[in-house]
Amino acid sequence: MRRLLLCALLLFAACGGDPQPPLVASDVVITRPMPGMTMSAGYLSLTNNTDTTLRITRVVSTQFESVQLHETTIEDGVARMRSLSALEIPAGETVTLRRGGKHLMLMRPTVASDTVSLSFLDGDSPLLSVDATFESQVDRE
Amino acid sequence: MGPRNLFIAIVMAVALAAGIFLAVRMQEPAAPTTAFVLPAPTPLPEFSLLDQQGQVATRDSFRDQWSLVFFGFTHCPDICPATLQILSAARRTLAENGQDPLPKIVLVSVDPERDTPELMAQYLDYFGTGNLGITGNLDEVTKLTKGLGIFFEKRPGVDNNYSVDHSAAVLVVNPAAEFHALFSGTHLSENFVRDLPLIMAAY
Repeated sequence: MRRLLLCALLLFAACGGDPQPPLVASDVVITRPMPGMTMSAGYLSLTNNTDTTLRITRVVSTQFESVQLHETTIEDGVARMRSLSALEIPAGETVTLRRGGKHLMLMRPTVASDTVSLSFLDGDSPLLSVDATFESQVDRE
Repeated sequence: MGPRNLFIAIVMAVALAAGIFLAVRMQEPAAPTTAFVLPAPTPLPEFSLLDQQGQVATRDSFRDQWSLVFFGFTHCPDICPATLQILSAARRTLAENGQDPLPKIVLVSVDPERDTPELMAQYLDYFGTGNLGITGNLDEVTKLTKGLGIFFEKRPGVDNNYSVDHSAAVLVVNPAAEFHALFSGTHLSENFVRDLPLIMAAY
């Protein structure tokens, strides 16, 4: 009986709760490239559910030739945009990519599409896939 | 006059003085809280550039209207559209509040190499009608920016792309084509909604 209980407990521990994916995306906004432009921006929150730091070194998309990790900063009144070699998400924490901060720059669309698929990788190891619909940049007047 | 009447007279006099004091205070105009208003507006530098229709744009293009002038470029997917969106939203709210006149939104390209008038037209149309885009010869752009203390610098990027570092400020130009006030980044729509009418009213 005791052995059975132990087995049941182990089983419960193994299956218990919702098994959380290691990296979760939320609040995904991918802006539609503006007329005449070949680039757009991506914003989202990334939550690391593991107990180790996760690193994103590459982002690829089937609809864009290139996706880069960028950061806009305003220092001494000057706006600058720099590419980031990696994005680190500490264990248990959420990193938010937002306007005027860290963001994705999506360049040169390869197909006309209303949706965009993104894969986040650490080197060649896939961490997360995200599908989103393009959103307009502006509320028109 | 008895002591009782004297007391009433004093109370009434004090009340009257307090009333006048408060009325005078309330008439003092509220001051802008986020914009810096130049003690003496300075004329825009002379320049000759192009608007988004390819027509000549000069200092005179700024006359007879208030302008909110932002320096940026179209190959800038994050902060430039964000700023134009903030300015458009501010203009919309000002219109809803009955503000008259409304400011014109002006984008001066700090990347005239890539920003043709056609590209500026497509870009600005996206943010609504009535906006002005200025681009053209790099030396002429520099005449304008230098005269206003606006910085910009081309920076090599990856993947055959480059970026342009640039001052984040939004300048307020008055109807005499003078640099009148300045909003420093980071920008919020409500700052323009609050301070612009005060700046205009005090002109």
